Amino acid sequence: MKKLKFILLLLLVVLISCERDDICAESTPTTPRLFVEFYDADEQDELKSVTRLTVYGDSPDIPIPDDTDNSSAVLLEDIFDTQQRRVYNRNSNFVKLPLLIGNTNDGETTTSRFILEKDTNLRLNDNPNNDSNIDIIEIEYTTEFKYVSRACGYKSVFNLIDVEVNPDGDDDDLWIESEEIIEILVENENTVHVHIFH
Amino acid sequence: MYTSFIKSSILLLLFSTMVMAQEDKKTVKDTLIYKQKYGLRLGADISKLARTFFDDNYTGFEVMGDYRLTKRIYLAGEIGNEEYTLENEVLSNTTKGSYFKGGIDLNFYKNWLDMENMIYVGFRGGASTFSQTLNSYEIYNVYNQYWNQQFTVEEGTEYSGLTAIWAEIIIGIKAELFNNFYAGINAQLKGLITETAPNDYENLYIPGFNRTYDSGRFGVGFGFNLSYLVPIFKKDKVVVQEKEEE
Repeated sequence: MKKLKFILLLLLVVLISCERDDICAESTPTTPRLFVEFYDADEQDELKSVTRLTVYGDSPDIPIPDDTDNSSAVLLEDIFDTQQRRVYNRNSNFVKLPLLIGNTNDGETTTSRFILEKDTNLRLNDNPNNDSNIDIIEIEYTTEFKYVSRACGYKSVFNLIDVEVNPDGDDDDLWIESEEIIEILVENENTVHVHIFH
Repeated sequence: MYTSFIKSSILLLLFSTMVMAQEDKKTVKDTLIYKQKYGLRLGADISKLARTFFDDNYTGFEVMGDYRLTKRIYLAGEIGNEEYTLENEVLSNTTKGSYFKGGIDLNFYKNWLDMENMIYVGFRGGASTFSQTLNSYEIYNVYNQYWNQQFTVEEGTEYSGLTAIWAEIIIGIKAELFNNFYAGINAQLKGLITETAPNDYENLYIPGFNRTYDSGRFGVGFGFNLSYLVPIFKKDKVVVQEKEEE
């Protein structure tokens, strides 16, 4: 009977100690964003902030962010940031870009395009003589789906193929001088994937 | 003060006479013999049948049996088949397969007279072969609202030839409701020993083991069974009682 009580106790302890794993925790790394850092074109080891930067997706569905509604600019921190700060009219030396997820099965490449706007304040002011400088970057990659857990399902990781500034070739006033892929595999947001020099 | 003194002295007197009385009488040993049924008990898990009926995502059955070896030890085993579809916001996965569990039950209950009930602890080794079908899954991306993109993959990949082996401790009761007909409930604690899982996926449910947990190798289960004892032979249960001689 003593043994029986011990086994009962053991069963109870194990049942209580089981944690809930049906909810995808915020801390679980799921689909990452592309981590881009801005460096000085002359001193290539030095981080250099872009003045009054605004970043948003290049798509007809995405409105140009302005003072009344800047929600189309990408987030500065992660989505759990309570202030929901955005890369809008802000000096910043990095940006994290949410990439479109492509169809993994056929191995086709997917492209995401972003507008990087420098000196946004010049667009926002009323002076018609000056304007901001808009550069477009196009990121080409393949996607791969990886199992995370029963609560989070799958995530997508990306294999970078090319990052191109001025993909349409019609911009003759570029503030970006060059770009470099540092890490081809976009698996998490802990490492920087792309450097942009300006 | 006085009343309490009187009370206690009366009590003392009473007890002393009782002690005296016991010393006076001699005891003899009295032997009682009860016929105990030994045989094969066969049954089914009713909880799995009920769940089949009420839960759209589950079908399963389990047949159980035990054979009484000695007064306390039973050879016991279960065999079953289950199909379970796990469905949540991000996954839909169907597990299908069969399992076998074998081991012993130890009865810890001292039965009165000719009763044959059990409060038991059981030990089992379990094995299962099964397949998993990933019906659909979602790409978890907290930033997908930016592009207004919800990415769901309807796939249907089947991972077959999966196996698992586990050990189990059971505690439960079995009571004879009427002649040779028993009802029992039990709770099971399982520890996964080894499993073959798909390379880029995991076993979310194992027939017989039930659902797996991310946090460890433990699993739990419970059962409610009805069974019938097929008596094969009878053995005497000898009870020696001390009886007072008149």
